[in-house]
Amino acid sequence: MEKVIETQELSLNYGDFNALANVNLPIYRNKVTALIGPSGCGKSTFLRCLNRMNDLIDNVKVEGIIRFNGEPVQGVGVDVIELRKKVGMVFQKPNPFPMSIFDNVAYGPRQQGVKNKDKLKEIVEKALKQAALYGEVKDRMNESATRLSGGQQQRLCIARALAMEPEVLLMDEPTSALDPMATQRIEELIEELKKDYTIVIVTHSMQQAARISDNTAFFLLGEIIEFGLTSEIFANPRDKRTEDYITGRFG
Amino acid sequence: MKGTRTSLSQIDTIIGSLLMILALVASSFIVIIAAFITIRGILPFITDNSGLGSVNVLQFLTNTVWLRGTTFLSTAYGAGFIIINTLYIAFLTVLLSFPIGVLTALFIAKVAPRPIAATMRTIIELLASIPSIVFGLVGVGLFLPVIYNIARAMGYSSGGGSSVIATVFVLSLMSIPTITAVAEVSIRQVDESLEQASLALGASPTQTRFKITLLAAKSGIFSGAILAVGRSLGEATAVALVSGNARSGPSFGLFETTATITSTLLQGLKETNGIDYDIRFSLGILLMVVILTTNLALNFIKRKVGNVHG
Amino acid sequence: MVKRKVRLSEILLNSSVFLSTALSALALGLIFFYVIREGTTLLNWELFTGNYHARNYIAELQDNQSQSYNMPDFSTSENVYPVDRFGIALEEDVDLAGNGVVRVYYVHPDSPFNQMISKEVGTEVVDLDVGMIFQRISYVDHPTSLSRGGAQKFATELNDPQREVYELFFSDLGGGIQGSIITTIYLIFMTIIIAVPFGVLTAIYFNEFAPSNWITKTMRSFIETLTGVPSIIYGLLGITVFVPLTVRFTPAVNSNLIAGALTLSVIILPTIIRTTEESLRVVPDDHRAASLALGANKTQTTFKVVLPQASPGIITATFLGIGRVIGESAALIFVLGAAIKDTVNIYEPSTSLAVHIWSMMTDEPANIALSSTIAILILAIVLVINVTVKIGVKLLTRKGM
Repeated sequence: MEKVIETQELSLNYGDFNALANVNLPIYRNKVTALIGPSGCGKSTFLRCLNRMNDLIDNVKVEGIIRFNGEPVQGVGVDVIELRKKVGMVFQKPNPFPMSIFDNVAYGPRQQGVKNKDKLKEIVEKALKQAALYGEVKDRMNESATRLSGGQQQRLCIARALAMEPEVLLMDEPTSALDPMATQRIEELIEELKKDYTIVIVTHSMQQAARISDNTAFFLLGEIIEFGLTSEIFANPRDKRTEDYITGRFG
Repeated sequence: MKGTRTSLSQIDTIIGSLLMILALVASSFIVIIAAFITIRGILPFITDNSGLGSVNVLQFLTNTVWLRGTTFLSTAYGAGFIIINTLYIAFLTVLLSFPIGVLTALFIAKVAPRPIAATMRTIIELLASIPSIVFGLVGVGLFLPVIYNIARAMGYSSGGGSSVIATVFVLSLMSIPTITAVAEVSIRQVDESLEQASLALGASPTQTRFKITLLAAKSGIFSGAILAVGRSLGEATAVALVSGNARSGPSFGLFETTATITSTLLQGLKETNGIDYDIRFSLGILLMVVILTTNLALNFIKRKVGNVHG
Repeated sequence: MVKRKVRLSEILLNSSVFLSTALSALALGLIFFYVIREGTTLLNWELFTGNYHARNYIAELQDNQSQSYNMPDFSTSENVYPVDRFGIALEEDVDLAGNGVVRVYYVHPDSPFNQMISKEVGTEVVDLDVGMIFQRISYVDHPTSLSRGGAQKFATELNDPQREVYELFFSDLGGGIQGSIITTIYLIFMTIIIAVPFGVLTAIYFNEFAPSNWITKTMRSFIETLTGVPSIIYGLLGITVFVPLTVRFTPAVNSNLIAGALTLSVIILPTIIRTTEESLRVVPDDHRAASLALGANKTQTTFKVVLPQASPGIITATFLGIGRVIGESAALIFVLGAAIKDTVNIYEPSTSLAVHIWSMMTDEPANIALSSTIAILILAIVLVINVTVKIGVKLLTRKGM
């Protein structure tokens, strides 16, 4: 199996607070990797290291190595914008821009200088189709994106990320703000997307992790307690703490 | 015990009623203002102005000379050009001060490191607290000579520098802090996850600020602009000092002298009775109507624009 | 290639942000720079205590005899020329408009210039005071000394024992702003006395007593609308409502400072109400409940428990009001006119500092130097108020937490 991303001894401090400690984790190509653990365990922080969104926070100090396709991600010489183009992100709450549906999906490519209308249309259609939203919105591309339902908005946000043709898609609890029906559709979509993309998903729901992921990492207090095939972790966890968590004894 | 309780609550009722009377008086001022100005202001149109004949409303609203000739006539007053000048100047002022104000707000809210942002915020607060007469003074002393020289160099004659552009400059200085203060608040209220989503899509911080932050804050930014327009329409002393107080118009050329409703209001000060006194109240009505309709129109546009992708 | 284009547009966008910010900062800098450059030369104590209108005197000496006086030594003072014959000293100076003048620097207690006979109607005795300005002195059978010739020549001629003084023409300095300072203080005082209790009580009504229904809502929105009314419109309110009212109920016969203060009160009323209400709102409901539970009624609770906690807000509101009174010009020009007075009476019109500037700026020629000096004064007060309000707001928010 090919590793797209790999971290070695990754530590992260917010001021004096140690949020991640010595995290070693491989992310395999065309697999869904789920990050689970109780609130505040560092799983979202870890996710945000992968496309350097933590750069936006003051007082953050990152140590250790993150490699994307073998190249280091940290460091002054790295083009963050290039990195973020290849490592897309979907957020917890659907956050479409206050623009039309079309403009939302076209936003990323446009920022990179794509101006050709036909080309943009092609990109937008492809992304919307991949996100299984095209059928629902193809007749109202110029309507405001904020008028879509919550589930549709989240699929739009996925389409928006896909329009950049990333290699990896980071998803930070993408269904936590959605109802069960909408959640189901997103999960089906993830299943579909992993053929073309590598997906890392943070989730609070054990069931979700079990349903959709191939690999699972269990975080606790900034450390990885256990990493392995999802089927194995859920069937017979090696660590007592993992077992306690997935059987619902804490968290 | 029971007796005390009753009297205590009786006091409450009495005090409550007294306070309500005060509150009623406070809220009636706007009605008093509207009523008195309207009653006074329509006199020139409905009386014969002690033999001069009544002023024709349509002529008043469309004529292009204020106080024609030296003899008092009911037809002497035309405010048509003044209305156009007032709106034109407000428009140019927004055109100049809006981008500067909004971008300054963007700098304070998103670009500047904290100490610089705090300094800049203080600068804007100070600018907002400077009385208009001081802006007028600086306009006369600093802008007029420069504008006069530039106009002369370009072959235009200007009344000592008093001009449309001088008025617009002075009003812009006064509008920038209003626009900046309101825009900064609404920029800071923009949902951070929108900005992060944009950054995560590989947009640079600059692109994010201009394409997402400003877009998401547009409703608040627009409110600031509406406030600024209201202020420029109502500003009197500073405008009267630098406009040149033209008596005819409209003046579209940047170096022409001009007159707004407020500056004209300040001109007729020496009159104490008759049509020349009452006509000021007619201008007062006009000012209120212009401010009110502009406000309504801008709010309508704001709602329209806001609805497209709101 | 595409990438390069993006970079260029970014540079342009970024520089537009910096440029705009620089322009905004420059605006404030220019205003302060200009006003300070133009106004500081005239900044001195006499400006604050002096009259604006110079008073002229014509007089003759009671005793024209030369004597010798025991005068202090002036040789160390520059531009000072003693007149030993009459026991005075003259100084070469500039007036508030920047023109050269001959100024009285010293008068000996026994000098005949102390007891001169006024030649104006109704004979009285006039004194020559230090700081006064000589216009001219005429002599019997000798050419008149003019101030234009400078202080030295003036002093030499006056010291000449051959010359018998026939007539003296002198005046106060003038150009002072004492009257406008007093007017401004009167206006601030009266406006605050009227508007603060009125506004605070109204705010108490809205926050503590008013039922939440459409009437209250309408009343609130009416008051809120006042903030959008331009000040010149308040001027119209002043001349139609407050001037006739004050003429009716006070000794005033014409427009007067009370009418001006009433107009200003309406202008600052919405600010006072809003600021007070904000500070009432942050008083925790627990405190009200606790007081009510102890058997106090609403009135007692409001005035004894709630209002004291809102005092930083009320002080802030007062300072905001003072700032507005100091800066207001348009409304006052309408109500009080723009005639500068040296003797101030609340039953008569006079000018505040801001209107004083307006009055001089609309003169021909405009007195920019003195206007700038007054502007420095206004800006200094506004600055102090700003700082005070900031501290007040800080106190207020700390209370709120």
